[in-house]
Amino acid sequence: MKDGLWLEDTSFRYGNLWVLRETELHVPPGRTLIVTGDNGVGKSTLLYVCAGLLPASAGHVWLDGHLAAGKKPSELMREGVRRGFLFGQGGLLSNLSALSNVTLGLRYHADVFGIDEKEINARARAALGQLRVAQTDFHALPAHLSLGVRKRVALARALALDPNFVFLDDPDGGLDSATRHLVYERLEGFRDDSKITVVIATNSRQLIDRLGIHPLELAHGHLLPEDESRRSRRA
Amino acid sequence: MRSTLPYDPRSDVLREAGWVERVGRRAIASLSETWALCATLKNAISSDFAPGLAARKLVHGVMLTQVMFTGVQALSLVSVIGLLIGASIIIQTNMMVPADGELIGRVLVAVVLRELAPLITAIVVAGRSGTAIATELGNMKVNSEVLALSSLGVDPLRYVVLPRMVGCIVSVVALMIYFSIVSLSAAFALGILSSGASLSSFQQGVAGSVMPHDLVLFFAKGLGLGTIVGWLSCHFGLEVKSSPTEVPQQASRAVVMSLLGCVVYNTALTAGFYWLVGPPMPAP
Repeated sequence: MKDGLWLEDTSFRYGNLWVLRETELHVPPGRTLIVTGDNGVGKSTLLYVCAGLLPASAGHVWLDGHLAAGKKPSELMREGVRRGFLFGQGGLLSNLSALSNVTLGLRYHADVFGIDEKEINARARAALGQLRVAQTDFHALPAHLSLGVRKRVALARALALDPNFVFLDDPDGGLDSATRHLVYERLEGFRDDSKITVVIATNSRQLIDRLGIHPLELAHGHLLPEDESRRSRRA
Repeated sequence: MRSTLPYDPRSDVLREAGWVERVGRRAIASLSETWALCATLKNAISSDFAPGLAARKLVHGVMLTQVMFTGVQALSLVSVIGLLIGASIIIQTNMMVPADGELIGRVLVAVVLRELAPLITAIVVAGRSGTAIATELGNMKVNSEVLALSSLGVDPLRYVVLPRMVGCIVSVVALMIYFSIVSLSAAFALGILSSGASLSSFQQGVAGSVMPHDLVLFFAKGLGLGTIVGWLSCHFGLEVKSSPTEVPQQASRAVVMSLLGCVVYNTALTAGFYWLVGPPMPAP
């Protein structure tokens, strides 16, 4: 059984532009992978490929032994692969309120989770509460929320699904100090959870230091430890 | 490259190619586009049979909302158009055959029920809701909302495309019936007032020319035209990759292709249907 995230000889490219070349990677449950890299190098795309949101051009991506791409998203959920994804700009559905954004996944899979409407609302409100989203923002559309609140709502949406995989794209980008520390606390919770596999794309030194994890750098389609990557570039 | 979006415009830059290669590329592009179009329709329809009672309940709620936006909110526009179309047909027929209520009734059945009601309703829905659907879905692509749905385990085709397609089908059929009623009523009223023809002669003309198989054609047109509008609007909306500038381009493409598709389908169905079942109007 391939527990956690496995990249097996995985490549991805946009036309002639390679983002990932024949990469082998394993992130077991309870481990956190941080990926850094220059702007435009494809960190977000790497997250999409790892989460199975984009199919790899070659090779396979496995999430807890299930092929990540080529299946309907709901099939993965039914097989027990629960993904929480924080997009760079939040990725909230613009026609749903903050609360409805959090309840959507729960409501769609209420039969899988075995929960009723009352519990859906309770879980969503608890997740929003953990991220300290004000009750007055619960019924606001994302367009009426600041970036910081949008990111917290998106993180609450990921949290509410009780995920076993968490993918975070630039989680502290554009946040003020108080919100950043709140997000860091939540990320430490993910890092310390032995059941969750976490992949973070960031260039924030503060976040890397806070989580105390040695990052890998994505450059020219290869994932290398940062110091090795710098050495190879100098060479 | 924008790091938050899964698309790089630089990858579209192609080297200079000879004419054979250009023709080949175009043929391959057309084939893959047709394939993608068919896949959108097939996958959207099959998604309704996927397991998940909670998902089905949620999607049915979205369908009702879509019928509200596409059908109910278009009633006033369809009323005005139906009224004016009925009036203009009466003006024309009155000039040709004044006071012949029966003949006017036959003309109304042939023109309004068989041709204009389906086509004009589909054009209204394509212009009004087709653009809205394509723009909404395009913006969802640009803002990573479609990827966000997938990450939540929500099937985008089931949650986004299917309700909009069903909404368009239900709305087109319902609006066709409504358009026919408004248009015929307006024509009767104006005909009686302007030419002095009797209501009974109109009724005789309409009843004498409506065949049972007209109902089959009427609903076949409604179902087909509704599907075309919903399907193409969703497909071209989802064709947007990463740039907001693509949204109006794809919305315009969605409407143009929907209109073209509707006219071709309407004409082909009329020709094919009467070739199979024979001429609709009994000899006077």
